[in-house]
Amino acid sequence: MIETFAKTEKDEVIELSFPAQGDLITLARFTAATVAARAGFDVEEIEDLRLAVDELCVSFGPLTGDRLLRIEFRRLDEVVSVECVLHPPVAGSPGSVTGPRGDGGSTGLELSEQLLDALVDAHGREAAGGMQCAWLRKRRGSAQR
Amino acid sequence: MDQPQTHGDVALPAIVLTGEIDLAVAPVLEARLERLRSEGATTIVVDLLRATFLDSIALGVLVDVLGQCREAGGDLYLVVDEPRILKVLEITGLSDIFALYPSYEILDRNVEEVPLP
Repeated sequence: MIETFAKTEKDEVIELSFPAQGDLITLARFTAATVAARAGFDVEEIEDLRLAVDELCVSFGPLTGDRLLRIEFRRLDEVVSVECVLHPPVAGSPGSVTGPRGDGGSTGLELSEQLLDALVDAHGREAAGGMQCAWLRKRRGSAQR
Repeated sequence: MDQPQTHGDVALPAIVLTGEIDLAVAPVLEARLERLRSEGATTIVVDLLRATFLDSIALGVLVDVLGQCREAGGDLYLVVDEPRILKVLEITGLSDIFALYPSYEILDRNVEEVPLP
């Protein structure tokens, strides 16, 4: 589900929600690229945001399709903020796990943190009430060259 | 995704990756690399020439298998020329850890002949 609406004249918000399956994360990357382009990011910055949003999604660890991933993209002038929330599993609907089985997964999570540090201006994560949240903020003109 | 290949004088098992290599592809990549390892391969080529995207989870799989290959006395070579993937390797400091080759020609010139398992 994708919803687009303007909070103010300058503030555009796009919400995207889908089952937390690895093969659907491409939707988040696609939306990230669109929002970045609308914010006037150059090609390198668009690619940075695309990768950073992917990293937000995978930073929760192995994903299961019984959980919902809700991503809010907010554009205000030249700043894009992204908030990614992983909802608790839906009772009685076990989902298949997406992710590597070996040590590669945990190594990947460490690499993810390094990538986010380099690609965006700020990022963080928090958990409450069974939900996990990861967020980032990136300003136009801040691409890591 | 994978075709053991011979390149010039170098005979190495190779995995060819195409398109976006992300969380969805990582388990398949992991399984294919594990299979090559279980068949006795200690040195493996991962061809990223047609890959357009590589995220941390797929990269973590490559790092994991690199360690296994080196422990066994071999290596994991990456053939890559895509700037976006090179940028990911540089940010994570892995461009100094992996043996990177921009083409098979350069790989052939730099790698001694390694027998297929």
